[in-house]
Amino acid sequence: MSIKLGIPAIDDVIDIPTGKVVTYCVDPEVEGDVFLMQTLHKNSEKCKCTLVITNMSPMVARNKFKEFGWNINFPIVDAYSGLVGDLSNEKYVVKDPSNAEELSRIVEDAIKENDLVAINSLSTMIDLCGERIIVEYFKNWGKLATINNSVLVVNFVAWPYDEKIINTVKACSNAIVKIGGIHHRVIIGQYYGLVKVDWTEVRRKSVLFKVVKPGGVRAYIPKILVTGPYNAGKTTFVHAISNKAVSVDRLGTTVALDHGHVEYKGFTIDIFGTPGQERFDPLLKMLGGEAFGVIVVIDSTKPEDFPRAKEMLEKTTKFGLPYVIAANKQDLPNALHPEEIRKRMSLPTNTPVISMSAINREGVYDVLDALLKILLG
Amino acid sequence: MIEFDGNVMLFGSPLTGKTILARNILLNELKKGYSGIYITTNDVGEDVANWFNEYNAKIRIIDCISKTIQPNSTDTEVIKRVTSPIDLTGVSVQLNKFLETNCKSGIKSIVIFDSISSFLMYTNLQTVYRFMHIITRRIKVTKSKAIYIVHDGMHDDKTIATLKQMFDGVIEVKEEDNRKFFRLVSSTHKTDWKEFSIKGKKVIV
Repeated sequence: MSIKLGIPAIDDVIDIPTGKVVTYCVDPEVEGDVFLMQTLHKNSEKCKCTLVITNMSPMVARNKFKEFGWNINFPIVDAYSGLVGDLSNEKYVVKDPSNAEELSRIVEDAIKENDLVAINSLSTMIDLCGERIIVEYFKNWGKLATINNSVLVVNFVAWPYDEKIINTVKACSNAIVKIGGIHHRVIIGQYYGLVKVDWTEVRRKSVLFKVVKPGGVRAYIPKILVTGPYNAGKTTFVHAISNKAVSVDRLGTTVALDHGHVEYKGFTIDIFGTPGQERFDPLLKMLGGEAFGVIVVIDSTKPEDFPRAKEMLEKTTKFGLPYVIAANKQDLPNALHPEEIRKRMSLPTNTPVISMSAINREGVYDVLDALLKILLG
Repeated sequence: MIEFDGNVMLFGSPLTGKTILARNILLNELKKGYSGIYITTNDVGEDVANWFNEYNAKIRIIDCISKTIQPNSTDTEVIKRVTSPIDLTGVSVQLNKFLETNCKSGIKSIVIFDSISSFLMYTNLQTVYRFMHIITRRIKVTKSKAIYIVHDGMHDDKTIATLKQMFDGVIEVKEEDNRKFFRLVSSTHKTDWKEFSIKGKKVIV
């Protein structure tokens, strides 16, 4: 027997056989708790499930499921009420959740009696009872799940714990789904991907997602905008980098949109080339916050166009999007050096200016790399 | 009223007017064009919103307490509720969302944590420390400001010392002979004690 995690893109590549431990490893500040809930929702009618809660009351937990449009019709292991002095009528109750021994005993009961046990926050348990002791118990729960043919799914928020603790949690997990944030001052996007599966080979793939209510995790394809002054080589760039691309153009200049598609470093990325500044704002709106970066292509031989490029940069900054400068036409003899371009455009030293020759497909991936480096750190 | 940058702790005995002082500092920063974010662990979100409404001040609130009293309470446009004061992950997620909105509109934020002492009642120092580590860094990179209220007398010296080292400065509040004073102490400078009084909701320096 096996279960599905109920997460888009991951369900396509793996089933979880019984006896396995799956960890959702969540970066702080990222909306990760929905993943575990979605896994429960997916399986609650097919097998015996239970949810261990440590940081909210059972009623709040039920409401959270309702917000996503999901019904919670499985028992709860209540390891919260005891902490705040409330009474509990749940099937499993941990009277003193800060007592690791009692907590573990009840979790063990839950594992023995259910096919799928979901722990809503391993991190809260660690915070309450101590790092080492909970990690030890976690190892045992995994073994118990293997013996009992049940699946253990846990949420683990990767706060800056001792590295040993994080590594042990990872080592005890048969599969890890990493849920991370794309940082640019704040987190502007969230992604997830399988980073470990120890029983079969899978291709690593990351997916960007949003959380919608009702509905849950919705994966989407990240979009990168390519902009720049007239005749800088935006279309050539989009075609050079894409696995497939189309352009709507007339007399050699783009009047509507370039659209390309690139598979790179586990991400599937949509690339949109814009014809000019006027259409930039509505395009950003149309992408509905799914744009996660901007590439500004400039013609390195035409310093007279730099002010206009700079103007476009200011627009993207307004939207809080990270950007890189692609210094195109570096193959031409009179092309300015990227550092010279930085100086003339008075760009900050941390803005990447990458030399490129779109027509020869040289440096195009360096540009993408520079942008991904800003985004993923 | 008081000029500061980055992350500061607002430290003093209970009932010395720390909350009102923090709220007045926030009002002051709003006038400079900052956007206000208030994290409450004691008052429900509506009470905080009402307090600021009288000044026509629009702020956004992360409410850590309502759901522990009223599990059915729902979010509003400006009040987002996390499941409980233990749910530091929820606080960090919500705070990031607010900061993101401000960042995208090119607005800087002023954040009030009212209070860190309450977080410490529900979770241990180490956990709060890890949480603060993430939060203080986020405040810095977004060029925001934040005030963290800590009650004197509720924690041992080690806790206070551990907390202090995370901040760029401390606003100390004291009361002597029914007169209230505050000063800002940072690694680089120390202001003189300034007397203040509270009239209704207003702080007068």
